Amino acid sequence: MTQHVTERDVRRMAEYARIGLADDDLPQMTEDLNNIIESLKPITEYDLEGVEPTFHPIGDLSNVMRDDVETPSFTQKEALANAPAAQDGSFLIPSILGGGDA
Amino acid sequence: MRSMAAFDYSALSVDAIRSGIAAKEFTAREVALAAIERIGAADAKVNAFLQTTPDMALAAADALDSAVSSGTFDEMGPLAGVPVAFKDNMNLLGTRTTCGSRMLENYDSAYTATCVQRIVDAGGLPMGKLNMDEFAFGSSTETSAFGTTKNPWDLERVPGGSSGGSAAAVASGMVHVTLGSDTGGSIRQPASFCGVIGIKPTYGLVSRYGVVAFGSSLDQVGPFARNVRDAALALNALVGHDPLDCTSQPCETDFTANLDEGVAGMRIGVVPEFMTAPGLEPEVGEAVLAAIQKLAAQGAEIVEVELPNAAAAMSAYYVIGPCEAFSNLSRFDSVRYGYRDPGHADLGSQYEASRAFGFGQEAQRRILLGSYLLSAGVYDTYYYPAQQVRTLITDDYRMAFGECDCILAPTSPRTAFKFGEITDPNTMHLSDIFTISINIAGNGGMSVPLGLSADSGLPASAQLICPWFKDENMLRVAAAIEREYGPAPIAPAFADGKVGA
Repeated sequence: MTQHVTERDVRRMAEYARIGLADDDLPQMTEDLNNIIESLKPITEYDLEGVEPTFHPIGDLSNVMRDDVETPSFTQKEALANAPAAQDGSFLIPSILGGGDA
Repeated sequence: MRSMAAFDYSALSVDAIRSGIAAKEFTAREVALAAIERIGAADAKVNAFLQTTPDMALAAADALDSAVSSGTFDEMGPLAGVPVAFKDNMNLLGTRTTCGSRMLENYDSAYTATCVQRIVDAGGLPMGKLNMDEFAFGSSTETSAFGTTKNPWDLERVPGGSSGGSAAAVASGMVHVTLGSDTGGSIRQPASFCGVIGIKPTYGLVSRYGVVAFGSSLDQVGPFARNVRDAALALNALVGHDPLDCTSQPCETDFTANLDEGVAGMRIGVVPEFMTAPGLEPEVGEAVLAAIQKLAAQGAEIVEVELPNAAAAMSAYYVIGPCEAFSNLSRFDSVRYGYRDPGHADLGSQYEASRAFGFGQEAQRRILLGSYLLSAGVYDTYYYPAQQVRTLITDDYRMAFGECDCILAPTSPRTAFKFGEITDPNTMHLSDIFTISINIAGNGGMSVPLGLSADSGLPASAQLICPWFKDENMLRVAAAIEREYGPAPIAPAFADGKVGA
């Protein structure tokens, strides 16, 4: 079977997706993804010259727009209710510059 | 007051519950108490519920009983007093919404989904939230982080998925109506495995506001029930424009209106490629052919229709679905809600550790696949062509529905499989081979029971597929099928008030 992605590729995809994939899981994940990507082959074999894409089903329906009227929304308290950590009405996160010394 | 143990509400229809309460044969509170007791006993076997909401059910029941006392019960909705429950990707204030994931194990619903609110407004008694494959990624409910749900027909078999809890709760007679969501078959395939009715309405018929998104151009919410009229009443309650979901469309159709019309003169399409598809088990194909013959005998005109590009639907789906999931699941960032891995000094490592622990294996596979397919260079090889193939598949259905009013096909290539029987992801994905193209094209589809399969003795089913926004067509055919096979029975171990062997 064609090797579509290497373990190194999968590591990079995981970094892009912000998933800290364990080294032990890398070989199996790489094998699974190669199998799935192989199964996508029919997509690459179609003659699609001149075929318009459909990004959304039932494309001939138009978007439904509403008037731009202010309505009640989440309070700050409600917005923070599920936050793992909050402080002074804000979401609390660790340093974004890395190393913990920022 | 009657003995609770003797009050078997589970065999009653939606209409019978409503009229029984109206006629003061029993109270809504009696229904709620009986359902609480029954779920407590039966769900120990089935594990369909991730949480139960007895206080909500009793409060809703008491409001209905007050309406009876004050003479205003006529104003109550068509589902008045009916035990209902919701897939756990649907927000309901006062409950957790876990999506079957460790990521959302402690997530408190911040508001109530429109579909849930409409069922509650119609008078349903909310009994709880139902198990599912994690974030709806799966076809067996085995990827739930909170244990598997058992098929009520055989506890050693899967209920299907991803809305496995929704199907099993109805098949075991614990509740009458449940809601599920369907991105590639997640309502229809579990309905098939559990021998109940499951409807994926036309894309745009039901609001998704408050339902945790998987593939936004594919997702649709719909009901499970044990008879066609119950399902139609639930669909009536669900449909219509919601200002909070811009894809939702106005709908004035009464889906109960044509159930008694029969199929004489209707053109029912059969797809030869589906009936000869590799992997279609003989007993499933035979059951579908028998149903076609019965409909012909009732006066339907059976026509062959072609869906030449349907075979590419599976690969188009495994491009489009993961790409949309990759985007939708990026919201789980360990900051605003969801699991946060403790003790990280920088945000990057907190993201990575939280998402590695919070997401299960299948969710990670799909997110990484989306990450790959959307990356530079690869996009032009798969993503853009998949959207072009989507046009071909959509055109196929449009052409086919020029020649027929409804298509009849298998729902799933096989009956319910055993736990652990399918472990290869690609093989699992083939469970949805007959359902996926309908999500790609946006049409409505539903699974209807056809009695029991000849060999396995497990529920058999057929899938009905309708033109866009002609969902009443498939309900009309479903009613004709129901006249042949009867309404879906409660699984034997749970029938007549029993709560499992």
